[in-house]
Amino acid sequence: MLGLTDVTVDFSGLRAVDHVSFAVEEGQIVGLIGPNGAGKTTTFNVVSGLVRPTAGTVRFEGEDIARLDPADRSRRGIGRTFQIVKPFGNLSVLDNVVVAALTRGHRVAGARDVAREALATLGLESFARSYARGLPLALRKRLELARALATDARLLLLDEIMGGLTPTEVNEALDLIRRLNHDGATFLIIEHNMKAIMQLADHIVVLNQGAKLAEGTPEEVAHHPGVISAYLGQPVEDAAGAGGSDDPA
Amino acid sequence: MATDKQSSAAVTATAAAGGGSQGEPSRRPRIPRIVGLLAALAALLVFPWMLPSGYWVDLAVQVLIWGALASAWNIAAGYAGGLSLGHAAFLGVGAYTSTLLFLELGISPWLGMLAGAAFAGLLGLLLGALTFRLRGPFFVLATLAFGVVVNILAVNLRGITRGAAGLVVPFDGGWENMLFASLEAYWYVGLALVALVVGTTLWIERSRFGYYLVAIREDEDAARSIGVRVVRWKLVAASLSAALTALAGTVYAQFVQYIDPSSTTRFELSVQIALIAIVGGMGTAWGPLLGAIIVIPLGEILRAEVGGGPALMVYGFLLVVIVLAAPRGALPGLRALLRWIGRRGAGG
Amino acid sequence: MDLALQIVTSGLLTGGIYALLAVGLTLIFGVLRVVNFAHGEFMMLGMYGAYWMWALWDIDPYLSVFVVVPAIFALGLLVDRLIIRRTIGAPEVTVVFATLGLSIFLQNAALTVWSADTRSVTTGYTGTAFTLGEVRASVPLVVSFGVALVLALALWAFLNNTRFGKAIQAVAQNRDAAALMGINVQRVYMMTYAIAVAGAGAMGAIAAPVFSVVPRVGLSFVITAFVIVVLGGLGSVPGAVIAALLIGVVQSVVGFMIGAAWAEIAYFAVFMAVLVLRPQGLFGRRGAEVYQGA
Repeated sequence: MLGLTDVTVDFSGLRAVDHVSFAVEEGQIVGLIGPNGAGKTTTFNVVSGLVRPTAGTVRFEGEDIARLDPADRSRRGIGRTFQIVKPFGNLSVLDNVVVAALTRGHRVAGARDVAREALATLGLESFARSYARGLPLALRKRLELARALATDARLLLLDEIMGGLTPTEVNEALDLIRRLNHDGATFLIIEHNMKAIMQLADHIVVLNQGAKLAEGTPEEVAHHPGVISAYLGQPVEDAAGAGGSDDPA
Repeated sequence: MATDKQSSAAVTATAAAGGGSQGEPSRRPRIPRIVGLLAALAALLVFPWMLPSGYWVDLAVQVLIWGALASAWNIAAGYAGGLSLGHAAFLGVGAYTSTLLFLELGISPWLGMLAGAAFAGLLGLLLGALTFRLRGPFFVLATLAFGVVVNILAVNLRGITRGAAGLVVPFDGGWENMLFASLEAYWYVGLALVALVVGTTLWIERSRFGYYLVAIREDEDAARSIGVRVVRWKLVAASLSAALTALAGTVYAQFVQYIDPSSTTRFELSVQIALIAIVGGMGTAWGPLLGAIIVIPLGEILRAEVGGGPALMVYGFLLVVIVLAAPRGALPGLRALLRWIGRRGAGG
Repeated sequence: MDLALQIVTSGLLTGGIYALLAVGLTLIFGVLRVVNFAHGEFMMLGMYGAYWMWALWDIDPYLSVFVVVPAIFALGLLVDRLIIRRTIGAPEVTVVFATLGLSIFLQNAALTVWSADTRSVTTGYTGTAFTLGEVRASVPLVVSFGVALVLALALWAFLNNTRFGKAIQAVAQNRDAAALMGINVQRVYMMTYAIAVAGAGAMGAIAAPVFSVVPRVGLSFVITAFVIVVLGGLGSVPGAVIAALLIGVVQSVVGFMIGAAWAEIAYFAVFMAVLVLRPQGLFGRRGAEVYQGA
């Protein structure tokens, strides 16, 4: 469904992403992990279109999308959330999602129905009329997912949506992602919560200092020597408990 | 006015953008609503004839023209988030285009105003294309520079504009030339102008376009990521705002019947357009008009009572206080007050 | 050839005067992320300070600097307390229009108190000139140029060589990290604003013998200073100095060739081109232009 080939991103002399290639197959949940500064969010930005790669190709469903505007990628079925959340603060929660549904050609009334449905899926109905800026962080993250759902995205990029969540909330999030995946959505997920991503993902890509360090099943990745040394010499599952929740957002 | 809230799409957008409450609007029976609207319309039509003197009619017309200018600015600034400090340029383009067409070719200002709007719309599009990438102060400074350039051109392209000497609109009375002997006639022209600009804004609030603009204002990257074609809608907003500003520019020229670079394109005028919208309430359909109702008579009274310098001191002071204490402007406060009165009326 | 030299010289001299204004403006932006629309009004107040000390007590404008600078510095502290600190982290409309409102207020306060009359300072050296070969340069302009550049360089040295200067730079680079390091960010903001506007006041005092004194004088200067600051890269002090000299020369050369109004158009065209093509400025670092007001 999604394929990155030799993607490189330079920021004024600094190489943020270095010849990274990987693929996401339809129906998969793929985890993208790595220490801070590994280039995960930049890779997301390359896929969603906020950053143009210096070199390399990005293909989505067979089409080269590396030169497309983010809006056009959204219209082709790529949705995302942001590590540092970006709600439309002075709009109501409902209207945040209405905007997303409108871009799919619904009329305003129809868009409201679609938006209500997306809010219901994420358990946000009771906040529909609140200002988005007043929501607690966990709900703002869910709101971003609701916006992406309202665009009928088939590939969802989630950037650390579990950071700062309580264990109960993390479990809810895991259930939700599994449910959406069961209903046909494909996921590419950046996550610092190692325990959660190891449970969830079918396939994991590890980045370190901009380059791909390893990829494989969670099992393979967890015992990969390079990955272990990148995570301070601990087996990855243990590192999750110690360093999993120091989320800057 | 503020009760015009059916369960349409705009309810939450208006409330959210304007800071009004999220409470369910009270639904009145349809018949009294229509009667109320007709009564309001009748009141507006006879209003100038109720005023004690021509001085007050003149002031009322100014309120309408400035209300229209601020409302037009508001589309680009309040909804799409582009804080322009160059809008006097579009006022000037409107005033000069229609006046020159009238003077040189005898074309009626009714047509000339369309030409001015088209020209300003194109200029707005050009300025938008140059500046859509700029954020924060960079955008503000770019629009300021644009306004200054147009002002310098108006002064120096003497072959076209007659420079600082200005242009006198010859009084060739009659509705076909938008020139009237009675001040009251200008009230109706101004009313139509305000109806057009505020009506456009109300339409925007309820439309897909309006949702997109507010999303762009709130967060461009998030808007793009859910499929909003940010550049296209920013350009449409910039162009529409410029065109509507130019329409008001023509009405202004026909009203005062003399224009020069200083009275149409000066930097201070760009500031005043913005100030009025901010005082009333940016990002709301009625806020800029409310701002004009507050600011224009206040300025006029102060000028008469204490002189021009102190009047502008008060403007400056008011601007600082409003943006620090109530950046959403006066409209949310007025709405709360009206609701409170309504509740008291209903309750006792 | 000599004529060309003459034009370039007077351009450089005028540019030097702009430099001091532009350096303060760029410093306020770099540190507080505020575009100080009232900057020109502090210069205007400095001019009136120098004018009245000369008119009432016959004090030389260059000496009046020693009174004007502390006075405007104190005014800067007051303005920071009343207005500027309340705009930090506020919506963009507040950041832009608070200083714009202050500018309108100060300009018209001056108009109210001192009227719109054009005033000018005449001293023993008014109208005198230095001559070097065929090139003449008016004495007050040369002195103003010298003082402005010395003050701009002193500011630059202060930023780079003192503890407090380094604190200011740390805040400019990363407010949160600076706060974590124990720097009092609020105090840095306050001092930066006061120092920068005192610089504008100093410029007003030393420019009093060169330019006419009117309440609106700040506006035209500050708009040119914005051009300079964007060219130099918003936030870059050396960039502001170089761009100021450049704009002075452009103004002088184009002004001589096709008229002053067209010189203004020319540098506004350059300004727009720089904003659009290279918003970090000719000498600025990339990144400043992606700053978001809110």
